[in-house]
Amino acid sequence: MSISSYSERPGAGIDKTEGLSVPWSRPRPKRAGVSARAVSAVTILAVLAAWALSARLQLVSPVFLPSPAAVWSKFLSVAQNGFVDATLLQHVTASLARVFAALVAAILVGVPVGLAIGISTVGRGIFDPLLEFLRPIPPLAYLPLIIIWFGIGEPSKILVIAIAMLAPVALSTAAGVRGVSKERISAARSLGATRIQLVRHVILPSALPSILTGLRIALGAGWSTLVAAELVAATRGLGFMIQSAAQFLVTDVVVMGILVIAIIAFGLEFIIRRIERRLVPWAGRE
Amino acid sequence: MPQLVLDKISIHYDGQAAPAVERVSIDVAKGDLVVLVGRSGCGKTSLLNVAAGLVTPARGSASVNGQPITGPGSDRAVVFQNDALFPWLTARENVAFSLRLRGVRPAERARRADALLDLVKLGGAGGKHIWELSGGMRQRVGLARALAAEPEFLLLDEPLGALDALTRERMQTTLLDLWTASQAGLLMVTHGIEEALVLATRIVVLAPGPGRVVRTFEPNFSRRYASGEAIRTIKADPAFAAARGDLTDAIFEGEAA
Repeated sequence: MSISSYSERPGAGIDKTEGLSVPWSRPRPKRAGVSARAVSAVTILAVLAAWALSARLQLVSPVFLPSPAAVWSKFLSVAQNGFVDATLLQHVTASLARVFAALVAAILVGVPVGLAIGISTVGRGIFDPLLEFLRPIPPLAYLPLIIIWFGIGEPSKILVIAIAMLAPVALSTAAGVRGVSKERISAARSLGATRIQLVRHVILPSALPSILTGLRIALGAGWSTLVAAELVAATRGLGFMIQSAAQFLVTDVVVMGILVIAIIAFGLEFIIRRIERRLVPWAGRE
Repeated sequence: MPQLVLDKISIHYDGQAAPAVERVSIDVAKGDLVVLVGRSGCGKTSLLNVAAGLVTPARGSASVNGQPITGPGSDRAVVFQNDALFPWLTARENVAFSLRLRGVRPAERARRADALLDLVKLGGAGGKHIWELSGGMRQRVGLARALAAEPEFLLLDEPLGALDALTRERMQTTLLDLWTASQAGLLMVTHGIEEALVLATRIVVLAPGPGRVVRTFEPNFSRRYASGEAIRTIKADPAFAAARGDLTDAIFEGEAA
């Protein structure tokens, strides 16, 4: 499995530092409690402090950099009273709904396409070049074409996000399918599995860890396409909220929106890792 | 009498100048325990794969009960060195895999799987996940899974190769017990000289370059075990030591010391 890295999972039992093959980095018994997590926490606090300090000393005009307190109070006021005709929750819901609709579409198309690539030479011949063509194009580049084709409604927005998600889902599925051990397939065939049973009972479950990794990457890709998708004729959504705020130089809403997007992305990542642990507890333990 | 017949098999892999195996004939009848031994590159696993239907021979014919072998089938279940179990299934579900493919009802599946797990001395471990089992236990699950398909012939590709010496020894008697209980014909590949002697009713010694049969032995130690003699008594018999010497000589014959 090329894309995934299960060594990050606590359940995998492999510590990141232990994964290094440098011999002298190995015997490192607890050295007086400096954990990466603590360092990260300090870093975040330091950035927040620098931000607060520069705002307090008015090193930069609040139009460019509002204070943390201003952003926080804006968060509360947008959560209660809304901004551009919708509350924060409504913006978040609109964005999440688009991303999840796109995810469902990407799964429905991407998993079968990935299976075809992984299983058959013809499938690989057909879909590989198409995906390789699609994959590196930034969403902002194909957005205008999609609007010309499908108009400015909700389907266009979902489609833009879904296209961004398609390649990671399909390619991870294909990688998972190709990674199924030959012995496992031989064993299933010698136990009487037909071709369809092989796909259903052996190949798909074997590829599941890789598929889930693909979904995780796809959610990241889709979420970062959100702002582009909401550029055109949206009336709700986090991307729309940020753009509207930017037009009126309401910088505190812009910053607040960015933070909300980051926090939601973090939450999505967390949730899908939980799902991975529930659904494929064997990954990395075979 | 059901028979698995490999007749004058030659195997030629793509991109290789020399054939891997040339004109090898092996037949396994029901109740036989045929063991293939030989140095690396003699084509033992290739021959097993021909019997399994996973490799197509360049020349020669492979048949089971008179029907040509065209692909894998549950009449010839395979057990691999690396158990090739399905980690998303429990031990019981792994054993029941072939029953599920055939559409056997869940309750019946579980009952038969548990009976087989009892047979390989894993009763009570049915609900365990594969990654919770030791290497020896996993190989037992693999055996039970192959037996669940009720094969006429069981093909074993170094089934004990990945196990530690003590587990291996214990598994040899388990294999013999299963062989006696199932009365299937077994075809097995191994690197273990002692293992071959303990298990086989017939040992086929192959030599590499290209793979061919150099000698055949018909030891009676497994029959002696089946008729009740203890495995340690058998191994302590001078006849066993003598047979081990002969077999070792045959395997390394023609090779510079």
